[in-house]
Amino acid sequence: MGIVKASDVVYEYIRRDEEGNVEGITTAVDKVSFEIAPGEFVAILGHNGSGKSTLAKHINAILNPTEGTVWVDGMDTGDEDRLWDIRQTAGMVFQNPDNQIIGQVVEEDVGFGPENIGIPTKQIWERVEESLRAVGMYEYRKHSPNRLSGGQKQRVSIAGVLAMHPKCIVLDEPTAMLDPSGRREVIRAVRGLNQVEGVTVILITHYMEEIIHADRVFVMDQGKIAMEGTPREIFSQVERLKELRLDVPQVTLLAYELKKRGVSLPDGILTPQELADALTGQKRGQS
Amino acid sequence: MSIILDHVNYTYGEGTPLETAALKDVCLQIPDGQFVGIIGHTGSGKSTLVQHLNGLLKATSGHIYFNGEDISDKEYDRKKLRSRVGLVFQYPEHQLFETDVFTDVCFGPKNLGLDRRETELRAYDALRKVGLPDSLFYQSPFDLSGGQKRRAAIAGVLAMKPEVLILDEPTAGLDPRGRDEILGQIKELQTTTGMTILLVSHSMEDVAEYVDRIIVMNQGSVMYDGVPREVFAHYRELESVGLAAPQVTYILHELRDRGLDVDAAATTIGEAADTVMRALGRSSGPGERQIRTNA
Repeated sequence: MGIVKASDVVYEYIRRDEEGNVEGITTAVDKVSFEIAPGEFVAILGHNGSGKSTLAKHINAILNPTEGTVWVDGMDTGDEDRLWDIRQTAGMVFQNPDNQIIGQVVEEDVGFGPENIGIPTKQIWERVEESLRAVGMYEYRKHSPNRLSGGQKQRVSIAGVLAMHPKCIVLDEPTAMLDPSGRREVIRAVRGLNQVEGVTVILITHYMEEIIHADRVFVMDQGKIAMEGTPREIFSQVERLKELRLDVPQVTLLAYELKKRGVSLPDGILTPQELADALTGQKRGQS
Repeated sequence: MSIILDHVNYTYGEGTPLETAALKDVCLQIPDGQFVGIIGHTGSGKSTLVQHLNGLLKATSGHIYFNGEDISDKEYDRKKLRSRVGLVFQYPEHQLFETDVFTDVCFGPKNLGLDRRETELRAYDALRKVGLPDSLFYQSPFDLSGGQKRRAAIAGVLAMKPEVLILDEPTAGLDPRGRDEILGQIKELQTTTGMTILLVSHSMEDVAEYVDRIIVMNQGSVMYDGVPREVFAHYRELESVGLAAPQVTYILHELRDRGLDVDAAATTIGEAADTVMRALGRSSGPGERQIRTNA
C-alpha cells in the first residue's frame, strides 16, 4: 500500500446561520480516491474553494472523512489511538510562517516537536541539527525567529516538521506570503527533502512554476479530482486549466501564445530550454 | 495635485538598542492617476513607506505633501487624509466583521458622518466596482469565497471614495483567475476614475503586466524607479536583493543566448510573443493581441 491512500473520501460540513439553524450542507470533498507511493512528489492545484486544503487536512487527521477512509502508512486516520503516530508520519506546513513558530531561538523551535514526544535530549539535538542542515538554516540556529525573513521562517517551520522524522510532508501554500527569493529558497528546500531524503511531498500551491518538477499533479474542482497527470500532461491543457481558474507557467503560456500565432510547437513546454530547443529547430527548418 | 515625499526618514524604536532605520532619505513624486508598483524583499521598507502616505506612521524627519499640503503639519486634518488615501492591508478579509457584506462596506462612509442615503449609494457603487454580484450583498461575509471576501474588503475602502488607493499584496493566496480578476478591476478603476493606485506586490509578473511605473525598495531606500522594462533590465541587481525579473524576461534571455534575435527587455507575455515572432522572421497572424510596450 502507498504511504497515503484515500478511498471514496467525502467530507461534508453543515452550514448554520447565526441562531444555529441548519442552512444547508456543503460537500467540500466529494468521493475522492488516490494513492501516493513512498518518495513521490505530488502537487495539488485548484482554485480557492475547490477543496484542496480540506483534502490535505485529512492526511494528518486534522479532519476526518464523513464517508470513506484515509490511510497513512497503513494506519486508518479515523483510529484515534493512532492519532499521534499518524501526525508523526505525516507532518504539515501551513501558509503563514508567523503562526507556526513558537520558540524564542531557532533551534529551540525546531526541537519543540521531538521534545514533546519524549525523545532523549541527545537525539533531539541530533535531529535539530540534521533538520536545520536539510533546509539550509543551520547557520541561523542561534538566531531569534523574529529576525528572519519570510522564506527563512518558513524553512524553520519545515525543519520543525522534519525533526519529527515524518515519512510524508504536506505543505499548504507554503510560499503564498513570500517574496521571490523566499519562494525559491523554500521550493529548493522542499525538492531537496524529496530527492535527497526521500520524504514524500504533497505540495499545494497557486504558483504554477513551483510544480514543474512534481511527479504527479492533481487538479481539484468542486471537491473532486478533475485532472490528474504529469506536469507536462496537465500544462498541455491551457484552456481547460483556465476554465478551472488556474494558469500555466509563463514559458508554457508563451509557447501557447506563439502556437496561436501559427508557430508549430509541441504541447506542454515546461522550461525555457525546451522552448529554445523547439524554436531554434524551427528557425533552421525555415532557412 | 500629487504626493511628494521630500527626504523622508523613519526610524523604529528611536533611542533604544533596537533602533532601526526603516526609511532612509526617500524622495519621490507620484502624480495623479498613475498606477505604481512597489516591490522589495521582506523587510525592505515597502509597508513602512505606504503607511506614511495616509498618516499611520509619522516621518522621523522630512516632509510628505499631499496635494501641496504638508501632512505632518499640526494643523493638517489627518482624519480626512485617511479617507482620501485608502489603504487596503494584507489579508484585508480578516477585518470583515459585520453581519452582511453590504453593512460591512457601509461602515467606512457611515463613520465619515455621511447620511444614510449617501452611505448606501457609495457602498452599492463600491461593491459594483469590485464586481461582486447583487446576490451576495446580504450574505454573511464569512460565507464568501476567498476572492469574494477580498473584494468585499477592498469595496469597504473604495466606499470612502479615496483619491489614492494603496493595496498591500491584494492577491496573496488567491487562485490565478482570482488574481487576474482583482488586478483587472483595479486597473479599470484607474483608467475610468483616474484614481492613483499604489500596488505593493511580490509577484514580478503581476507588476510587469499592470503598472505604469515600478519603485524598488531596498534597505529603506529607493533602489530603482522607472517603467517596468527599464527596472527589470537590472534583473541581476534585483536578484541580489531578493527579487527577480518576470519569468518571461529569463525565457527571452535564454532564447537570445541560443541565437534568436529577440528583445530581452520585454516583460509581458504579449510583448515576448511579438519579439519572438519578429525574430523568427514571421509577421504575426490576425490573432495577435495588441500590446502597447512601455518604451
